[in-house]
Amino acid sequence: MAAEQRRELLGLFEEPDQAADAFTRLREAGFGDTDLEVISSTPYPEGAFGEAHIKHRLFTFPFAGAICGLVIGTAWVVGAQISEPLVTGGKPIVAVPAIIQILYEGTLLAAVIFTVIGILFESRLPDGVGLYDKRISDGYIGVSVLATDPKMLAARQSLEQAGAVDIIAKDGSIMSSPQESTAS
Amino acid sequence: MIKPEEAALQIKQRPAFKPASIRPNLRHAAIAALAILAAAGIVAYIIKLGSWGEAGRAKWAYPTVALMYILSTAAGAPLVAYASRAARGYWALPARRVAELYIIPATISYILLIPILATLPPLEGRSNLWFNFHAGAPFLTDALAAAIMVLAGVGMLWISTVPDLAVAWRANGELSSWQRALVFNWTGTTRQWIAARIGTKVFGAFYLMAYIYTHLVLSTDLGQALVPGWRSGIFPAYHALTGIQGGLALTIVTLFLLKRYSSVGRFIGNEQAINLGKLLLATTLLWFYFFWSDFVLVWYARIPSEVAAMQLTIAITYRLPFILGFLGLFLIPFVCLIFNPVRRNLWSLAAVGGVTLVGLVFDRIRLFVPAMSHPDPFHHSLGTNLPDAFGPSALDIVFLIGWIAIMALAFIWAASRLPVLGGWELRHGAMLRREQQFMKGHVYVLGKPD
Repeated sequence: MAAEQRRELLGLFEEPDQAADAFTRLREAGFGDTDLEVISSTPYPEGAFGEAHIKHRLFTFPFAGAICGLVIGTAWVVGAQISEPLVTGGKPIVAVPAIIQILYEGTLLAAVIFTVIGILFESRLPDGVGLYDKRISDGYIGVSVLATDPKMLAARQSLEQAGAVDIIAKDGSIMSSPQESTAS
Repeated sequence: MIKPEEAALQIKQRPAFKPASIRPNLRHAAIAALAILAAAGIVAYIIKLGSWGEAGRAKWAYPTVALMYILSTAAGAPLVAYASRAARGYWALPARRVAELYIIPATISYILLIPILATLPPLEGRSNLWFNFHAGAPFLTDALAAAIMVLAGVGMLWISTVPDLAVAWRANGELSSWQRALVFNWTGTTRQWIAARIGTKVFGAFYLMAYIYTHLVLSTDLGQALVPGWRSGIFPAYHALTGIQGGLALTIVTLFLLKRYSSVGRFIGNEQAINLGKLLLATTLLWFYFFWSDFVLVWYARIPSEVAAMQLTIAITYRLPFILGFLGLFLIPFVCLIFNPVRRNLWSLAAVGGVTLVGLVFDRIRLFVPAMSHPDPFHHSLGTNLPDAFGPSALDIVFLIGWIAIMALAFIWAASRLPVLGGWELRHGAMLRREQQFMKGHVYVLGKPD
């Protein structure tokens, strides 16, 4: 059986408490962590809306990059020393103290590059979310819900009962008194 | 009770406070003067490049001073942003973006770095950091070190600025294609905020690592490796530390100027002065620690080659720049900053910061002019006859002043294109700070959720 297609609703709230209330109501209506998302112009303390703790893996990216950079850096310096062996100061051709700086550079460079990739990946950028309203830029809190058709009504009712000033679907506002909105 | 400026406490979440960029006016005398000096600096740079090969490395002695000065001030400033984030110092909220924006002038200094590195003599037969590594040192390795520092700094500025730009641009409707490319469709989900908060710290940590390393290799390759007999393990640390001192001083002076001449000044006040003043005092004391550790070892050991190098940069040949550097980097700041009223007032603290910045110019002159102007680094010692001081030509003076003006203009340009205050961090900070009554008095309550 094919999975039911989910559609997105975006509820807009003036107050953070209302958005938190919407989260509670949506959970009671059977929506899970992966169905709900808060969108705001300010970072609220994690868990302020009752959202689930998000496990991020950003720290693994610099480590992975560092290992790649270390390997490439090692290949560079060891390859250079072996290809043109020059005994300097009676030291071994490949001596760790002599190559440590190059290894540091290679490790750091790759770690920084992988951090950029990690931030994009962990932020789910450039995908973002489907719906956005420019009132969020003015301080409104957006609560995004992914719902299947049978649960659309429950989602809408939860948002309305929590005090949403507007509810937006892909085609625009679905509130009785719609305000200006943009879907991106 | 130390508390933020009233304006910072009254920042609203709705409508969301959105900081603007500054609006420089070319008709303003100071901006016009900076533009003229910057143009002169560019002309001097072109003249220096045009006469490539004449007078060799010595011709780039004062440009090296300009380069190392920018790397010691503009490149040091972003560390203020990182340090305050790492230590969760909410007092620095209005100062973080200001400090970060200095990565733009630090990036521009790369234009100076390339020709200067190209003048360096071969490694074989002279002191060097690279054990005669022939596959890229010192040109490629030094350029790469600076590039990593710049990359980490730009990364920190980017992830810190994206939320502000996205909010500002989205408030005007749909993002254009180039705006979308720059902010990667940022919307402000919980996951994105976590990435932004952690990303600024991770990039900051890498910036610190790259900054220290860049100072290590550049201060050695452009400094002590070119003066026979100058061998110091403390000198690179001294150089990095004075760079942090310069970055702090530059941040303080910039905050003062913003408070005095821009609309964002209402968020900046004595809360920042009190904390930055302590840090500046700490680095001033560390200046003496590092300098004295370096000096007394050579003085007591009395190895002739090391004594000669010390006589060159400190005691005899470049004594005047050393004294001016000593006054500017230690004595005057120390005497002033031990008094609380000086540290607690942004105006007086900025004056001390200005003295520090001037002292740093002379310190960099005494460190890099003798090195870059010394014709023969292929010896173990300077011998008994110390080289003469290498004075600046008119072109050198124009170059030095012109590139300091370029640094200032680059910052002004960046601050006119990007929000000069971190809007999302200020809003976040305002959300978590309250002044409330405690018994019969008032206390300042600060929440630190992460």
